[in-house]
Amino acid sequence: MSRKQTPLRPYFEKMTEIGKELREGEVRRSQANVDLVREQEELIAQEIQRVKNAGIPAEKIHQRGGMTIYDRLEYLVDEGTWHPLHSLYNPTDNVEGCTGVVDGLGKIEGKWAVIIGFDNKVMAGAWIAGQSENILMVTDLAKRLNIPLVWLTNCSGVKLMEQETVYAGRRSSGAPFFRHADLNHMGIPILNGIYGTNPAGGGYQGISPTILIAHDGANIAVGGAGIVGGMNPKGYIDEEAAQALIEGTKNFKGKAPGRVETHFDQTAYFREAHDTEEGVLDGIKDYMRMMPAYDPTMFRVAEPAEPRLAVEDLNMLLPANQKRPYDAVQVLARLTDNSEFMEYRPDYGREVFTGIAKIDGFPVAFVGNQQGVFPGYPDYANGEYPGVGGKHYREGLIKQGEFVTLCGRDNLPIIWLQDTTGIDVGDLAEEAELLALGQSLVYSIEQTELSMMCIVLRKGTAAAHYIMCGPQANNNNAFTLGTPLTEIYVMHGETAAAASYARRLVKEDDAGNDLTPTLEKMNQMIQDYQDKSTPAYSAKKGFVDEIVSLPELRNYIKAFTCANYQNPKSITPVHQLLLPRIING
Amino acid sequence: MPELIAPLAGNVWKVLIAVGDKVEMDDEVIILEALKMETPIYCDDSGTVTELRVKEGDAVEEGAVLVVID
Repeated sequence: MSRKQTPLRPYFEKMTEIGKELREGEVRRSQANVDLVREQEELIAQEIQRVKNAGIPAEKIHQRGGMTIYDRLEYLVDEGTWHPLHSLYNPTDNVEGCTGVVDGLGKIEGKWAVIIGFDNKVMAGAWIAGQSENILMVTDLAKRLNIPLVWLTNCSGVKLMEQETVYAGRRSSGAPFFRHADLNHMGIPILNGIYGTNPAGGGYQGISPTILIAHDGANIAVGGAGIVGGMNPKGYIDEEAAQALIEGTKNFKGKAPGRVETHFDQTAYFREAHDTEEGVLDGIKDYMRMMPAYDPTMFRVAEPAEPRLAVEDLNMLLPANQKRPYDAVQVLARLTDNSEFMEYRPDYGREVFTGIAKIDGFPVAFVGNQQGVFPGYPDYANGEYPGVGGKHYREGLIKQGEFVTLCGRDNLPIIWLQDTTGIDVGDLAEEAELLALGQSLVYSIEQTELSMMCIVLRKGTAAAHYIMCGPQANNNNAFTLGTPLTEIYVMHGETAAAASYARRLVKEDDAGNDLTPTLEKMNQMIQDYQDKSTPAYSAKKGFVDEIVSLPELRNYIKAFTCANYQNPKSITPVHQLLLPRIING
Repeated sequence: MPELIAPLAGNVWKVLIAVGDKVEMDDEVIILEALKMETPIYCDDSGTVTELRVKEGDAVEEGAVLVVID
C-alpha cells in the first residue's frame, strides 16, 4: 500500500492555537470602532471609484467596440484572484488623477502573475508623470517574487504637453525597458498583449517583453506617422506656418507604421495576431499555461485551512483610536491557517512577536509589534520607565535580527505586522546599543534572499517603520499594505510641533508676548501632519502600495505567499528546517 | 464584591459611570491615561456600581481600587 504525507508533520500538522473568540460584551462595545473603520473604507472606496472613472467614459470605448483596461483584466484574470496594487498612486497629483496604469497580483490559468496595463481611457494610455515609478515598482515585484509579468500595452507615448515630467532622468519612462531586459536576463518572462497605437515610447513598451501578442488593430513603432512637421526654421509658429500645418494635417493619408501587416506578416515579432480583443487575452492565457510553476504540493506543509477565528473580527479588534492598545496576538489569530502560530522566544523581547505559521498550507514567518505596557521591562531602564508596546527595545531588536537570519536560512517568507511608534530613545537606549541594533536588523533583512511583505496596521513611525521591512527595504519588500487605520509619519504631529516650536514658546513667554500666533502655527502643523498621513494620502504618495480593508488582508497574505512559492529560486528542504526545532526545543 | 483595579500607574482621564449605575461585563467604565496611551478599564462582571473611588484628573498607582461593583 502506498502512503503519502506532508513533511515534518509533527511540527506543522497541528501547531499551537492562538487567540480567542470575542465575548458578547467585546462585540457590543466595538461597534463604534467598526463604524469608524467603515467610514475610512468608504473614503477609500470613493477614491478608487474616482480613479476608475478617470479619462473618457468607459461607454465611449464600448461604443467603439473596444474594451477598457478593467474589461480586459476581468476577462484575463481568474475569478476572485485579483489583488490590485497602486490603485490610488499619483505622487505628483496629476490632473488625470492617476498614473495611467492599473496593476496588481492575480492568477491567470491557475498561475500567479504580476499584471499591469495602460488605462486606455486616459489619453489612450499616455506616459504621464508618476507612471514610470509605478511601473518600476511593478517590475521590481515580478523580480522579487520570480513570477511572470503580464503587460496589456496600449500606449500612445509621451503626453507631449508635459514631456519634461516623464521623458528624461534616471527613473523616467525609458527605465522600464531596461527593467524588462533585466527580467528577461534573469529568466522571468514578460507576456505582452498589444492594443491600439503604440508609437515611440509605446513602441519600446511593445517590443521589450518576451512574448508579443497583438490585436489586429495594433501597431508598435519607433515613431508615429502623425508627426507631419519637422523642425520649423523660424523657431516659432506664425500664421504662415500654421496654415502649412493645417494643410499638411488635412492631406495626411498615411497609416501608423508598425502594424500587424509589418510585425506579424513581415518581421514576425508578433507571435500571434487576433481579430478580437478577447483573442489577445486568450493568447496570453495559452502562454500562461506554459509558465514555470511548481504544484503547491511541493512546498505545502499541511492542507490549506482558513483561520479558526473570523477575519471580520479585525474591524473590532484594531482600535481606530490610535492611543488605544490591543492584543496583537488576537489580530494574528485572524490571519493564519487554523489560527495557529509557533512563537519564537516568547519570553524574550516581549514588545515584538516572532514565529512561524501556515498560510494556505505553506510555511511562513510573522514578525509584529505587541501592544500594551510592560512593567519592569526593558532591563536597561532599571525601572526608570516601563516598556510600551509599539516601541523597540534591546531584546526585541536582537530577537528580530536573529529570527530574520534564521528565516533566511530556512527560506521562510516574512510577513511584517507593523504598528510602531519608534525605537526607544535617550542615553539609556544609546548605552543599550539601540542605534546599532536597529541597523543590525536592517543588515539581517538585506543579507537574506527572502521575499517579505509589510502591513502597516496602524502606525508606521520613525526609523522603526524602516527597520521592520518597510518599503525602503527595496530588495526584499515585495509590497506594503496600509489599512483604513494606517498613519505614516516621522513622528506624531504633536511631538513634531513641540520639537519645532518649544524654544520659540519659551522665548515668547519670557518676553511676555501673546502665545496665540505660535500656538496657531503649532496646531496648523499638527493638522498638516494629520492630513498628510491618512490612508488615502499614504496610498497616493506611495508610502504604501495599497490600502486594504482589514478582513481583506488575509487574501493579500495568501496571494503573496502562494506567489512566493510558485517558482522559488532557492529551496530549503522542509525536513531540514531549523526554526521549528529551535522553537520546540 | 468585585473591584476594578488600575493595571498601571496613571491619571484618570475619563469616568464613564456613576454610583448606582447598572453595568455589564465588558462595559468600559474608566479610561486611564499614561505613557501617551489610553488604558480602558472594563467591567469583569455585571452588577451595580456601589463605590467610585476616583474622579477625573486623579493620579492613581498600579493596583489601586478604582470602582467597586456589587
